Amino acid sequence: MRIHIVKRENCSLLQKCGLYVGAVLIALVLGGVLLLSIGVDPIAYYTEMFTMGTIGNRIAYKTFMNYLKDFVPLVLTSVALSLAFKMRFWNIGGEGQFIMGAIATAWVAIKLGGVLPTAVVLILMCLAAMVAAGLYGLLVAALKVKFGTNETLLTLMLNYVALYVLTYLLETKAAWNFFLEPTALRPVPQSFDNVVSFPSIPLGGKFALNICVILALAVGALIYVYLKYTKQGYEIAVVGDSAGTARYAGMKVNRIVLRTVFLSACLVGLAAAFKVGTVGTISTTITNDVGWTGIIVAWLSQLNTGVIFVVSALICVLHTGSVEAAASFSRVDSSFANMLQGVILFLILAADFFIRFRVVITKKGDRNHG
Amino acid sequence: MSQQYAIALKGITKTFGSVVANKNISLNVKEGEILALLGENGSGKTTLMNMLSGIYQPDSGEIFVDGKAVSIHSPEDAKRLGIGMVHQHFKLVDVFSAADNIWMGKEKPGLRLKKDRFAKIDEIARKFGFEMDQHKKVYNMSVSEKQTLEIIKVLYYGAKIIILDEPTAVLTVQEIDKLFAVLRRMKEDGHSIIIITHKLNEVMAISDRVAILRKGEYITTVDTRETNEQALTEWMVGRKIDLNIDRPVMEKTRPLLELRDVSIRNDEGAVAIDGVNFYIRGGEILGVAGIAGCGQKELCEAIAGLRPLEKGQMIHKGDNIVGLSPKAIHEKGISMSFIPEDRLGMGLAPSLSITDNMLLKNYAEAKGPFVDRKQGRADAQEVIEQLEVVTPSTETPVRRLSGGNVQKVLLGREIKAGPNVIVTAYPVRGLDINSSYTIYDILNQQKQAGVGILFVGEDLDVMLSLCDKILVLCHGKVMGVVHAHKTTKEELGLMMTGALDLTNKYEDKPAGIAKDTLFAQAETGEEQSQ
Repeated sequence: MRIHIVKRENCSLLQKCGLYVGAVLIALVLGGVLLLSIGVDPIAYYTEMFTMGTIGNRIAYKTFMNYLKDFVPLVLTSVALSLAFKMRFWNIGGEGQFIMGAIATAWVAIKLGGVLPTAVVLILMCLAAMVAAGLYGLLVAALKVKFGTNETLLTLMLNYVALYVLTYLLETKAAWNFFLEPTALRPVPQSFDNVVSFPSIPLGGKFALNICVILALAVGALIYVYLKYTKQGYEIAVVGDSAGTARYAGMKVNRIVLRTVFLSACLVGLAAAFKVGTVGTISTTITNDVGWTGIIVAWLSQLNTGVIFVVSALICVLHTGSVEAAASFSRVDSSFANMLQGVILFLILAADFFIRFRVVITKKGDRNHG
Repeated sequence: MSQQYAIALKGITKTFGSVVANKNISLNVKEGEILALLGENGSGKTTLMNMLSGIYQPDSGEIFVDGKAVSIHSPEDAKRLGIGMVHQHFKLVDVFSAADNIWMGKEKPGLRLKKDRFAKIDEIARKFGFEMDQHKKVYNMSVSEKQTLEIIKVLYYGAKIIILDEPTAVLTVQEIDKLFAVLRRMKEDGHSIIIITHKLNEVMAISDRVAILRKGEYITTVDTRETNEQALTEWMVGRKIDLNIDRPVMEKTRPLLELRDVSIRNDEGAVAIDGVNFYIRGGEILGVAGIAGCGQKELCEAIAGLRPLEKGQMIHKGDNIVGLSPKAIHEKGISMSFIPEDRLGMGLAPSLSITDNMLLKNYAEAKGPFVDRKQGRADAQEVIEQLEVVTPSTETPVRRLSGGNVQKVLLGREIKAGPNVIVTAYPVRGLDINSSYTIYDILNQQKQAGVGILFVGEDLDVMLSLCDKILVLCHGKVMGVVHAHKTTKEELGLMMTGALDLTNKYEDKPAGIAKDTLFAQAETGEEQSQ
């Protein structure tokens, strides 16, 4: 008996979906085994997790609103990163760009909140965040274009620079530091949610849909069109595929790189503005790791904008759900979601292998096989 | 078995998905023989040889080495059986020295490297007449040096059966002669050699027997002495084919593109093109001959606006084009298609569809912010029909097409733009006979339409029959411009090596400067504008 690995000609959409769903199911089974080993009923746990504890819960609407608060930054960051990834620019600086955007948002909110009309302040918050994050990304692109530096290292390192800048701002009690509550004796970040925050649209009952969700959907749709149908999107695809060819075709490659990275970082900044503008304060954990998770989401979605929305939604269910479930299952830490996410990622990669190849087993001497 | 074969294949079949790459193939090689394996692109030559070297395993069929049935599951197995393969794409570690690359894969007893390894490599080199510096790093090596290294490597492993996959594709005439001398010496030493190539003259020159494959099937094996190029072609292609290349005589226009005293530097900053003069008229094909890497690439890139001129002038229909952007030059009707060694690096985006590749140079012309894919799809469809590109659809990524079809897509796009000057370098690189002739026909059609063509080529026989005039470069200098029907291969060879300089052959006119040049007009034009 011999095992062959044979390239697949084409894999139907149904087969693909089947393989991916299978990968997720196996991950859940593996997680279930782990749960059993610590004496937790996996079915009960998963039920709690995947419904995010909303069944039979009087404040289920609140859980869902919190869920959307996590979903919006993640989906926007993933879309933003996919833009750079499409051009083979390894922007893993989502965290740093997010933090820069968050600082800029808070700055505008604290300084102008209550001074100017709320709508204007909100728009300025978004713009400030986009410019701050955009320039933070542009810096790396400019260094790459000018000196050929490695963007992976630089964006990675700048994440920590941004984090320490934020930490400094939030821990230094001084007269100039308007980021902190002036009346408090210890360094406490100012909160401005009662001064300026993104409005919600009441949708019957107590549930209100935050405007950021709608804006995020709109941005996603725009980026989808941008990448697929516009000249600039076409340029990104060509540069990502072969920079030499792009140059030969008369494209200004450096300009395209700068423009795309700026746009990518801008959108990360917008995600930060939405996040800060809904929670109404900043903290060192403001990113909620979206800069990292966004990379995983972008690749799991194979840089497809539509799929990013689905994957982000599912990953958020995992995160929110595990936090909710941790309340009922004290033995399972909420970081169980991180583990499950890792296992799913591995198995999806394995599923990718089976999408491209199939395994054929032949008996020795057997001439025909299918 | 009446005769012991060094290697014999019986009924080998190999499929990839639904594609049958090899179907029931049987062939054999004697000891001390050179067998040429001939076939068009995609006829399954490389697949078959990869099964001998353990990269693939046959689905069915048997392999015999020295009369014993063997199964080769890995390159290790092949090595143990004395089969060595020199791949078309070298498998070397760039940052290692030659010696390091050679004994890297050798099973060595003990922990310490033995000092005698250098001596052993030297001995092999001397025996077969190789020249090699063992301490040279691979990234400093020329293509032919890398190939030499690959061959020494398989000999060092003790291979008795040596497979060479298109070894001559990247070599110059002189380097090929040297390689063939080495192969003959190996043959005298009792080695069996299988050489894959689709250059018929080489088959005739080097092989003892020729085995022919067509579309994955074994056709026949013939003694080289008892056959000729015409017969081989018919077996290979499956029908009669005219091996003559037409050279229609056309009414020539005034010079379209003129270069005067042009010097260009290469990426390392050395002078690649040194004070070159030449011109192209509409309705003619000007060949550029020269040893690989003597400035052809830099010249093409400079004309297309991708590389700055060190000095000199370039005019197109009397207008200066020095310093214009690649886009502006393309808009003037000068098209460039350069087929690099990897065939994909320049001019095409491999993961994008044919449609998207059609749009590469004119996507910016569409109104508004959107790309006009409808136009691109129509263009793609037209090129596919006109040039008989084999593809499932216009949306297939170019990477998935075979070599010949990739080159047709590239050339098709360039012609679609309706250029008046075509600069094309190695357009038939790696193509089989059928596809090559399609490309020659396309170029001739363009010539008949009044386009001026600069054809940078490597096969002198083809250039002699296709081109009207041939410009010979040697170390970046022009050695002369000769009429193709008045010159010989030998004369060109001498010029290419710099032994013959014909730049002052005609006293009344230096080579490469047109009598009816438009430079005077360009200069007065400039004065008027000043």
